[in-house]
Order: sequence, then structure tokens, then C-alpha cells
Amino acid sequence: MNKPLTIRQVVFMYLLLSLSSILRQIPTALAREAGRSGYLSPFWSILALIPLTAIIVLLIRSFPGLNIYEIMVHLAGKVIAKLIIVFYLIWVLLYLSTKFNAYALTLQFTLMPKTKSDFFIAIMLVLVYYALLKGSKTIFRFSEFAFGPIIFLITVLFVCAISVLRVDYLLPVSTINLPSTIKASKDVIAVGGNIILVLFFADEFGIAITNKQIRKFWFASGLFVVISFVITIFTFGVTGPNLTANLPFPFYITVKGISFFNIFERFEVVVTMICVLLDFIGICIMYIVMTRCFQWLFEIKDRGFLFLPLAIIMFYLTKYVSATQFEFRYFYRYIIVNLNLIFQYVIPFLLGLICLLKRKYIKKQY
Amino acid sequence: MIYAFGILLILSFIRQKELLLKKKRNLLLFLFLSVCGFTLGIVHLVSPYIPSIAYAIEKYLK
Repeated sequence: MNKPLTIRQVVFMYLLLSLSSILRQIPTALAREAGRSGYLSPFWSILALIPLTAIIVLLIRSFPGLNIYEIMVHLAGKVIAKLIIVFYLIWVLLYLSTKFNAYALTLQFTLMPKTKSDFFIAIMLVLVYYALLKGSKTIFRFSEFAFGPIIFLITVLFVCAISVLRVDYLLPVSTINLPSTIKASKDVIAVGGNIILVLFFADEFGIAITNKQIRKFWFASGLFVVISFVITIFTFGVTGPNLTANLPFPFYITVKGISFFNIFERFEVVVTMICVLLDFIGICIMYIVMTRCFQWLFEIKDRGFLFLPLAIIMFYLTKYVSATQFEFRYFYRYIIVNLNLIFQYVIPFLLGLICLLKRKYIKKQY
Repeated sequence: MIYAFGILLILSFIRQKELLLKKKRNLLLFLFLSVCGFTLGIVHLVSPYIPSIAYAIEKYLK
């Protein structure tokens, strides 16, 4: 458990963190924005993900063994770095509250409609607290272990769904639809940008990073696009874009309609379980990012004592951010997506730009 | 829920007493975050149906 974090583990963490949004938010957003042609939007997101991955690789290569805060201190100075970290902290607080809300709403929508969200959030906080006490390495190992079975289950569901896919829900698509698919890709980009979280853990990779390890970032970006495309086409093809646009969790309804050779049915419980698992991993990761921000801001070494006060803040903040399904959808669509674009793309692009301008000076140091 | 959090905070303080009392900064941060959490909790206890941030933004933007 004391071994340094591997890039493989961080890449799996990124994919699992993104998968929870791919299953719930992306199909609805794409159906609403682009209608029937929405499943083409994940391909446009490549245009944003390639430069972002290139920037991450550039920063990791230019500053080996340093995390995002230390990189910002080198590039912009301590004061500006701390100021940016404060903004990142606010973003993480809001993002985490939406994760808690999404998790509670999923369970209310699927299995326990009469149970209050307080109960679900409290249970999740207990689990997260216990996992965090065991150390961040445990969570990364868990995400590494969980990735294979989750992808296998989704693949099985996709294979079972092929026979019930309706082509008339997906075609015809013409060039007239292209502008709307480009516009809708914003929602995919806002989820794919989670790869920036790699930089928050970059100090744990060690100094020597090989080309083989770097290739894993590109692989992760590619796999994210493929998974987004597959899940969207699967949801659109079975449920139809019109219904998908109005459902809070269309993938769940999609899975209700499929069976394994008419032998096994009711896979929706499995999907709920996958979502809870993904939420647990996502919340743990964002919680670690949040405590890391506090560590950098206040220059503290231990962070164990932060877990409980932050849990109390998160419990109540979740209620203050959005209380109902409609409020959650509104907040995610207009606030979180735009905040994600700023913190996952604009700030890293600026860092990359400064890094390129100061390249000669940086090379002398390393 | 706020009472449960209160008890847990006291337990957490006792458990991590050495770490918190070793550095003033740790203690201050712990107290600051605890006060923030409790303030949110008390506001929620006093007026549980206070409009959410999402509702306020939606209303303001319209």
C-alpha cells in the first residue's frame, strides 16, 4: 500500500469518475441539445480533449514530480497559485455537492422513492469517511479493481441490447444536424475534462515517467470518447432521443427494456449498483482533491482531521445547492457544465501557455 | 443530524487531540470548518425550506 501511485490507477480513476456522468447526464443533455443526431457529439469532443491531454503531458514532462499547485507556484508565483486554488476549492465544493445530489436522486428514482435524501447522503458520508481513513491509495486500488467488472457488465448489456436497437431512432442524420451536434458536445467536453484531476496527483507518480506511461493518458482520452459514444447510441437506440431528453436517468429505463437471450431480465438493479459504486469512487476522489486544496492553501501536512468537518459542510451544502430533481438538472446544466469548462480547460490552457513561454527557463531548472 | 455531527466532532477532536494541539494552524482550521458546518446546519434547522442556490440562480436569471 505504500507504493507510489501509478498512472494506470489514475487513468482508471478518471474513467470511472467520468462514467457516472456518462451514464446519467450525457445522454439526456445530448438528446436535448442535438436530438436524434446527439450520439455524434462525443466525436467532436476529441477536438478539445486532444489539446487538453497534450497540455497535461507537457506540464508533467516539464515539471516531473510536481502537482498542479507546485506547477502554478513555479509558473505564476505563490499568491496567484493560492488564489487559483481557492477558486478550484469552490468548484470542487459545488461539483461534489452535485455528485451527492446525483447519487441520492438516482437511488430515489430507482429503488427507494420514499426515502429522504438525508439518509442516502449520511450513509455515503460514512462509507467515504471510512475509505479515506484507510488512505487515498485504497481508493485508487479499488477503482483499478472495479474498472474491469464494470466495463464487462456494460459490454454485456450492450451486446444484449443490439437486438432491440431501433435504427429509426438513430437515422437519418444529415449535415444540417452538424451545428447542433457541435454545440451539444459541450456537455461531453465538460465531463471529459476530468482528466485534469491527474495533475492534482502528479506529485505521486515519481520523477521518471516513460513514454509508455504517457501513452496511457491518450488511451484514457480515446476510451472516454468511445464509452460516451457507445452509451449514447445504446440509450438513443433503445429509448429514443425524445424520451431520453426528458428522463433524469435514461440509461436505467434503457436497461429495463433488454434481456439476456430472454433468460435473464431486470438488469436495472445492476445498473443502479454500478452507479452507486461509481458515485462512491467519484465522491472519494473529489473529497481527496478538496482536502489536497486545503493542504496547499494552509500548508498543513496531515489532512485526517479535515474529513469530519468537511463531511458536515458537504451534508448541508448539498441541500443548499439543489433540493429537487429539477433544480439539480438546472444547476448541472447552467452552472456545473460552465464551471467545468473554466476549471478543466481555461486555467490549464493558460498554464500550458505560460509553460511554453517560459520553456527555456524551466529546462535550465530540470 | 446536527446532534450526531456534534457528538462525532467531539469524538474526532479527542481522537486527534495531539495532531490538533501540536499546531495552532491545524486547530484553527478544524474549528473554522466545524463552525462553518454547524452554521449551515443551524440555518437548516431553523428554516428547512430555505430556497436553494439553484432556485435563486434560476429566479435571478429569469
